Amino acid sequence: MIWYVAVFIFYIIFLIWANIKSLQTAESIDDYTTGGHRMGLLMGIGTTAATWVSVASVIGVPGYLYSSGVAAVIGWVAGWCFGGALIPIVAYKIRRPEKPARTFPEFIRLRFEPFQKKSTLQAIVGILMFIGYLLLVNIQVTGFGIVFSSITGMDYKLAIFGFLLFILITSVGGFWSVAATDTLNTVLITVGVLLASGVVWSLTGGLGNILDTLATTTAPTNVGGPALDEGVLLSPLGTFGLGTLFSIFISNSLGTPSSPHWVTRMLAPQNVKVAILQVMGTIVVLLFIMGPLIIIGLGAKVLLPSIPEGKTTDYIIPLIIQDYTPPIVGGITLVAICAAAISTANSMLLHCATSLYYDVYLNISSKRISDRKFKNWLRLSIFAIATVAVVLAINPPWFLAMGFVYVYGGFGAAFFLVVFLGLYWKRMNRAGAYAGIIIGSVVYVVAKAMGYDTPFVIAVATSLIGVLLAVYFTKRSPLEAYEPYFEAEVSHSTKQVAETIRNNSHEEKADRSEVG
Amino acid sequence: MGIAMMTWVGTMIFSFLLGTFLCYKVEKSGVKRWGATGKLFKYK
Repeated sequence: MIWYVAVFIFYIIFLIWANIKSLQTAESIDDYTTGGHRMGLLMGIGTTAATWVSVASVIGVPGYLYSSGVAAVIGWVAGWCFGGALIPIVAYKIRRPEKPARTFPEFIRLRFEPFQKKSTLQAIVGILMFIGYLLLVNIQVTGFGIVFSSITGMDYKLAIFGFLLFILITSVGGFWSVAATDTLNTVLITVGVLLASGVVWSLTGGLGNILDTLATTTAPTNVGGPALDEGVLLSPLGTFGLGTLFSIFISNSLGTPSSPHWVTRMLAPQNVKVAILQVMGTIVVLLFIMGPLIIIGLGAKVLLPSIPEGKTTDYIIPLIIQDYTPPIVGGITLVAICAAAISTANSMLLHCATSLYYDVYLNISSKRISDRKFKNWLRLSIFAIATVAVVLAINPPWFLAMGFVYVYGGFGAAFFLVVFLGLYWKRMNRAGAYAGIIIGSVVYVVAKAMGYDTPFVIAVATSLIGVLLAVYFTKRSPLEAYEPYFEAEVSHSTKQVAETIRNNSHEEKADRSEVG
Repeated sequence: MGIAMMTWVGTMIFSFLLGTFLCYKVEKSGVKRWGATGKLFKYK
């Protein structure tokens, strides 16, 4: 218990220190939103890995491995990894401009309607991002509440309001605070899941025993539930069926590179190559996090054949920690899960607040404000949104990992074509962007509501038709819209347009020297 | 189990190949601002 408290106190002290440091570092809007576009490789890997590993990975994925078997490796672990592999394709282009966009909606504006004084497109994207990230922050809060309350015995509601403090500490300092705490969080998550998987490995007798059990078990997921078919947990389709598993894989993979927080992450590194290497490095780090999680999720079926009635599979990790791990390992794993939730929530909270305040409010109102005012208002927005996310988490609405699939699917449906065609096809224009975003998001929601197995595929296919029609029936994009993503040296008019948009909403200070 | 793990490993290999190819493209461009240094994985 003493060790557990010591680790937790050290963790909180570091969070506060990183936040104070960041408050001193972050001076401009660029610093606050994307770290001033000067992030180095190691911190980039740390923050990318920590944001990648959320409670959906640490709690949700072992839960689905437990209930549906190895198919969850294809749906989530391989799905996210494939999506990660596609991120450098975005990075290769989006980090090219000398002064890149500060937010994802601003990139959409620069690429598709650079001459509009008030960008409706930027506002629409900002609103969609706000909705998506509010739900994703809500998932992190819920996951943290489930784990913390189960292990410590603390009331769930009290636990989620406690979590509010953690995410506020790490978010108010902006991007540098998020990145610095994320790097420590990556170390904590890796150590925590490695230790927990070591315990599961030793208690189950190793992988051979785990696979033998999975091959023969028919124990229901919940006590009193329907028995599983023998061998289903080792089948590549698991309990999902081909259509559902395909949909999960596609949503996780194609939704990832077009999710606004990953696109924004590619704006932060100091150059294109760092952005690419950052993703490659993260894939290596994830091997040491996802591998242990697979052992924990599958091994849990050996240790605990069925979970108590009334508990979802999201409770499998807390149940294993409580009943099978030594207190010191349990404590470190708890901090690791806490770190996973915080590191993803703080990043998404920053995107959520920025999109609402910068991309919607400042864009529509055309107000010019100072960097200082911008930061203060953004902090206030972060506080308000975090509070809403916590209040919404009082009654958790869904399974954690599946919630991620829905939101990633929605982001992919709305933004996949706009991001990839915008970066790689000069002909892609403003009308195409409107068609892609509106048709993609509306069709995704309708297809999901109608219960189709593959809403993402339906939405992207419909949206592609709409985009092609819109593009070929309207004027070509102006040079100023696409030039920065295709040419190393851009024309004077392109430079001027980008500068005007950047200075539209605030009084920019002189650039700061390169660090990181 | 084998198919699931091979799918994961396959995506990782794809990621490294694609990343390496894109680093090569940056080098080939010769644009220092993008990270071209003369060596494939050197970035500054």
